[in-house]
Amino acid sequence: MPQEKNLNAESAKPQRRSKSAGAFFQKLGKGFVGFFVNIGKSLAKSWDNACERFTQGSIWTKLSHLIMGLGNLARKQIVKGCLYLLIEIGFLYIMIFSPKINGTPFGAKAIVNFFTLGTVEGDIFTVGDNSMLMLLFGVVTFGMILMFLFAYISNLKSSYKTDLDIARGKKPTTIREDWKSLLDQRFHVLMLTPAIIGILVFTVLPTVFMILIAFTNFDSAHPAGLELFDWVGFQNFRDIFNGTSEISARFVPVLAWTLVWAFFATITCYAGGILLALLINKKGIKFKKVWRTIFILTIALPQFVSLLAMRNLLSSAGPINQILINLGIIDQGIEFLGNANASQANLVRVVILLINMWIGIPYTMLMTSGILMNIPTDLFEAATIDGANKKQIFWNVTVPYIVFVTTPYLITSFVGNITSFNVIYLLTGGAPTFPGYKAGYTDLLVTWLYKLTIDEAEYNIGSVIAIFTFILTATGTLLAYRNSKAYKEEDTFQ
Amino acid sequence: MKKNFGLASLFLVALPMLTGCGKSNPILIWVGTESQEFYQTKLDEYVANYNATNDKKFPYAIEVKGVDTGSAAATFLDDTEAGADIFTVAHDNLGKLIAGSSGISPITDTSLLAQIAADNPDTFQNVIKGKVSGTEYTFGVPYIAQSLILYYNKAYLNATDVETWEGIWAKAVTHQKQALSLTGTDGFNNSFLLLARNVADDSTSLQLYEDASFDNCFATGDDTVSKLKWGQRFFTGAYGARVPSSSGWEVELKDELSLSVIGGAWHYNAALSSLGADNLGIAILPRFTITEADAYGTSVAGTVYQSGSFTDTKMLVMKKGSTKADYLQGILKFMSSKEIQEQSFEECANLPAYKNALEEFEAMSADTMEAQLARCQTEMFSHGIPQPFGANSKFNVYYYSKGAPELIAAILQNTGNAYSTDQAILDELVVIERVWKTGNKEAA
Repeated sequence: MPQEKNLNAESAKPQRRSKSAGAFFQKLGKGFVGFFVNIGKSLAKSWDNACERFTQGSIWTKLSHLIMGLGNLARKQIVKGCLYLLIEIGFLYIMIFSPKINGTPFGAKAIVNFFTLGTVEGDIFTVGDNSMLMLLFGVVTFGMILMFLFAYISNLKSSYKTDLDIARGKKPTTIREDWKSLLDQRFHVLMLTPAIIGILVFTVLPTVFMILIAFTNFDSAHPAGLELFDWVGFQNFRDIFNGTSEISARFVPVLAWTLVWAFFATITCYAGGILLALLINKKGIKFKKVWRTIFILTIALPQFVSLLAMRNLLSSAGPINQILINLGIIDQGIEFLGNANASQANLVRVVILLINMWIGIPYTMLMTSGILMNIPTDLFEAATIDGANKKQIFWNVTVPYIVFVTTPYLITSFVGNITSFNVIYLLTGGAPTFPGYKAGYTDLLVTWLYKLTIDEAEYNIGSVIAIFTFILTATGTLLAYRNSKAYKEEDTFQ
Repeated sequence: MKKNFGLASLFLVALPMLTGCGKSNPILIWVGTESQEFYQTKLDEYVANYNATNDKKFPYAIEVKGVDTGSAAATFLDDTEAGADIFTVAHDNLGKLIAGSSGISPITDTSLLAQIAADNPDTFQNVIKGKVSGTEYTFGVPYIAQSLILYYNKAYLNATDVETWEGIWAKAVTHQKQALSLTGTDGFNNSFLLLARNVADDSTSLQLYEDASFDNCFATGDDTVSKLKWGQRFFTGAYGARVPSSSGWEVELKDELSLSVIGGAWHYNAALSSLGADNLGIAILPRFTITEADAYGTSVAGTVYQSGSFTDTKMLVMKKGSTKADYLQGILKFMSSKEIQEQSFEECANLPAYKNALEEFEAMSADTMEAQLARCQTEMFSHGIPQPFGANSKFNVYYYSKGAPELIAAILQNTGNAYSTDQAILDELVVIERVWKTGNKEAA
């Protein structure tokens, strides 16, 4: 009977898993729809507020719809009013006159160029349109319009607030009071504004630009400024799976190795780090601090130094091969880190996983040591009172606690390993090479992406791979994190 | 405190935006890192001389920047606006620089064109021209030449040994060392076999983009099969040639694992450092003889081939649309003049592109290592061809970047024993030829 129960329980497992996956995707779908519903609601609310400002606001607020800052200027808020006015003048100047940078216009013309990506091919003596700059300036102009809209609404809000202040018998705030408030109650606004602008300019804008490139034919045959490139829709995505090029031939193998690498690089470092921490924290081990310090030294050394040192140690004429030759174990140096010989691909893969353990384990060890020292002692006491032996305490208290606390680290570590550029690039450069292709046996998506863009100037395909890498890392992170106990049962160990 | 912190943070954010202000706008010239100081000095003299001999002053400062000339074209194409007014590129980059509407300006100054015609060998004059919108222009001014040569360890090999690969190989077997290390398996460094020519009649069936045509590529001749069969024996046989290892050719040379290496002038310093002045020998690339085992079709046993090389020129080109265009061609004429090339050889060991350098430049007949390097490179010019990739940007990409060099390396190493038969080699050569023509391995 109990056996039957177990069988039922076993067969119920996959069902539970599929249910949980179904629930996850259902939730994801709901979240996706909810996101747009919320945006709609927020827009509707903003529209109501705008209507209210227009209908209820003073004549100055109404006029501020046309001339920004007028509501403030009329109430002697000169600096603020001038600032809004300058923003409007500057924006209109850029949009109307479309000033050029490096021969490519910003403003209204940039929006047209964004769609055409240039029409003038130029000739031997005159410079033609630069499609890449046109795409970039188009994105920047759209960003500028969004920022202008933000300033425009802020101008209306400011004017309407002054209306309300006056209606309530208050004095309109002066610039000094506004500045004081920025350094006090609204200090977060002052501090966050540069950060948000920085994120928009240095993260969002390049990301949008990169994503858009995936929908163009910007490649080595269309160098920016010399040859116009164009929108090609989803052609590059189709080429990845249907084409006859290297991209379609090597995408799946490189993706597969990327996932295998990420899995093993994460698991080996994670398990190794925990084992090492348990060993060092074991009762009876002497000089614990010394051992910890020794392993921390690996972290203190810059990673690239450790990697290059390893590369030299393991090179075909390096010290390790020399020792093996001198001992008579081998006749000639083994290519631990690959050359053009593809038959050694698996050896090279194992070697780089081992080297990765050398540089990765100390991080987990350090973190796990901290966790081990902070496990609430009452958990152990309760388990001991319940009659648990050491083994049971380890598997049912220590391990779940460590796993619970380190799950987010495990996930970020997995994602980090998917994009682990340094280890591969510095150790093997992707070698051994796959006959006839640039992407080698140890190339990850990111190192291949580097070769495609920096060496080959295939920016469009590089962007597609970058998008796939992002989807992979984002989906993996979301799936793993939302299904982890650390997320579902976050109160467990509080 | 909060206030101060806030203001300090904002200042720090604003600081980088202010750093770009106040820069001057000189004529910017990119040359190889090793020549930066030399050309800066010479161009300062040029400006001083201009000021002394003209009514008006030279209107710009000239700034010479040392760059990796191998990647200068790519750097320029990444952002043409930020590129130098004059820069150095290998001639085979011409195709990508003049793609579309061209990123560089043609030479129009008649006196400069006359100087180019008078000072340079025909092979160079052919590869500095390109067609834009159907019209042919001269774009580059040759001023440095380069080719592959052999560096060898004089402690093991003498001048007679290095006349043939067989001589080197025999000594390698005796000393249980590798005969040769390669610096790379790319299409440039592994070209010595493909470009080898029959010594008897200086012929080869190999064709690479002849007459600037995709169709004029031919890799399936009997002699090519035969040469690669010989190469396969050399690369797979005991103590023969070795493909680049994770140790690097410098270590292999220094640790006496290999007796020789094929390299260019840019490898000279590293080779000298590995072997030292006493042991470093320099020679032209050796010959090799086809045996019964290598013979194929019309390429019979006993045929002697001279290893070949791409014999290239580095040239100066001008950015299109430069605001200082009026002054650039004068500078080009000065930098590529015979006198400056001679001084550049004496001070920086740059091999002159000037066609009579061997006869006219005294320093080239000196008993120095640098002069020997120059003489060997010059001699290799009669056994090689300039990279024929300048006429079209795709030539370069198809030859180097679409997998053909890796397939040649696979044949030479007989990867997975897949190239043990003549037919297998021939089949792969068909694929290589297709890659050169179309960029694809599979037939359309």
